[in-house]
Amino acid sequence: MISINNIYYRYEQEGIDALCGVSLEIQEGEHLSLIGPNGCGKTTLIQHLNALILPRQGKVIIDGLNTSDTENHIQIRSRVGMVFQNPENQIIGMTVEEDVAFGPENLQLPTAAIKERVAEALERVGILELAKRNVEHLSGGEKRLVAIAGVLAMRPRYIAFDEPTAFLDPAAAKRILKIIDKLNTENVGIIHITHNMDEAAMASRVVVINEGRVSMEGDPQDIFGKVDLLQEMGMQLPQVTELLIRLKLDGFPVRTDIVAMEDATEQIKLLVKTR
Amino acid sequence: MYHIGSYIRGGAIIYRLDPRIKLAAVIVLSIVILAAKPLPSVFLGLALIILAFFSGIRLRTIAQAVKPLLFFIVLIFFVHALFTEGNAFLSITCFGLSLSRAGLSAGFLVTWQFLCLILAAVLLTMTSPPAQIIAAIKYYLYPLKLLRVPVDVIAVMIMLALRMMPVLLSEKERIEIAQRARGYNEKKSGFILRIKAFLSLTAAVLLGVFRRADELAVAMEARNYQQDTRTSFVELRMVSTDFIALFFLSVFFFIFIALNYCFG
Ligand SMILES: Nc1ncnc2c1ncn2[C@@H]1O[C@H](COP(=O)(O)OP(=O)(O)OP(=O)(O)O)[C@@H](O)[C@H]1O
Ligand SMILES: [Mg+2]
Repeated sequence: MISINNIYYRYEQEGIDALCGVSLEIQEGEHLSLIGPNGCGKTTLIQHLNALILPRQGKVIIDGLNTSDTENHIQIRSRVGMVFQNPENQIIGMTVEEDVAFGPENLQLPTAAIKERVAEALERVGILELAKRNVEHLSGGEKRLVAIAGVLAMRPRYIAFDEPTAFLDPAAAKRILKIIDKLNTENVGIIHITHNMDEAAMASRVVVINEGRVSMEGDPQDIFGKVDLLQEMGMQLPQVTELLIRLKLDGFPVRTDIVAMEDATEQIKLLVKTR
Repeated sequence: MYHIGSYIRGGAIIYRLDPRIKLAAVIVLSIVILAAKPLPSVFLGLALIILAFFSGIRLRTIAQAVKPLLFFIVLIFFVHALFTEGNAFLSITCFGLSLSRAGLSAGFLVTWQFLCLILAAVLLTMTSPPAQIIAAIKYYLYPLKLLRVPVDVIAVMIMLALRMMPVLLSEKERIEIAQRARGYNEKKSGFILRIKAFLSLTAAVLLGVFRRADELAVAMEARNYQQDTRTSFVELRMVSTDFIALFFLSVFFFIFIALNYCFG
């Protein structure tokens, strides 16, 4: 379990208070999405999860390990993987397999074990055939997959994804989402930052961050039911929810507490049948 | 874009050789070539060309990698051609320079030798994944560890330097495009403006690279990078092909040195 206990963080140089008292618990195997307007502190928050930054006040505990204790960092970073927003800046090796091997090499595993992990990680994201390729010559989507494989090779229990589908075409985005979903079924805890509300609705719990605080928290139906509050923050709704709300405003008897495409389809079928 | 340091996939035998052998061959070659006489140099160059042919790498790719060095190659040629003493058959009086037969042949020889060296380096880097070359360097530096030289850190530094090189180039291109988009035209600009553009380009590239380096450092930390010993994904093991190659290389260098001695 990850427990974030009333943390504060300030970027000292600029004097920006990025987090002002955030508390959150994340269970093992949970799929959580983090949403909120630009600059609300999402990235800052997840960087606390593997001790890249330490809270100014409050504490972050990963499976009983406090991030403020430097002795724990190796263990914490093996438990919590981090997929950054820009894959370009997190690929360290020159070829795909070299990059994926970087983490296990740091864990000082023997060569055979590293090879096994590299092959396994590449297999899990479905890019085994890219193993020998030079990373410079990969597409943006492929680089994103390499970055994910690099994290998987550390066999983390939790992975934080920072806008994993930004700048990808729909097919590539779908591929990433599928991988995230699959990881989650394998009991890897997922923390998923996104600006895409359809993606956010895939999670089992949605946390809305605003101005460095948790402003709402609940299951997707709950959160996307609070249309007014979301709009106040300048945020959108999942497309299907928005569609149903418009239908309702026009007087059609539909439910609006729906976030998934399948459920929305059912509602509309029902509507058509009753007419 | 291929440059020196790019690895290109392939299946020729040279790809499968132990990188320690390839690296040692390049090092030995770069030492002996300094003392090489013309005929042995030609012999060595031809051997390299044959090797390049059998590596399966296309000539165009090699040419592309060598192209950025063209300036140096030409420079080396002229420096040797113009500054070697001999009977002048053409003198450029206003600069006090003169061309001689001896100068020309010295120019050709040194240029040829330099090209051999480049070709050898290109073959090494194009046929060995960087991690393998780094592992080989680490292997040879290993004794220094006893003297507390941070060999593992050096290896990671080389890896990052290789990684950042294309980043630097693409950053430069990106900023040049931005400069042009804002109406800067190199051909129509005066000297001062060009200097100014050059300085702002340099500053922007450096800033960009520092920012990238910063982010890369965070990403390394996130994947548990510590400065102490790391294990390696690359396993260096000599198999029979390697021993055969080692044998042939020794014979080759022996013949080369013998030729050099005989035709001196
Ligand atoms: N390295 C930094 N130095 C100084 N200030 C920073 C730094 N990183 C972020 N900030 C500031 O901290 C605040 C929170 O930033 P953060 O990156 O966590 O937001 P975010 O929710 O991830 O935004 P986005 O959706 O745009 O990615 C912002 O006001 C931002 O300007
Ligand atoms: Mg962010």
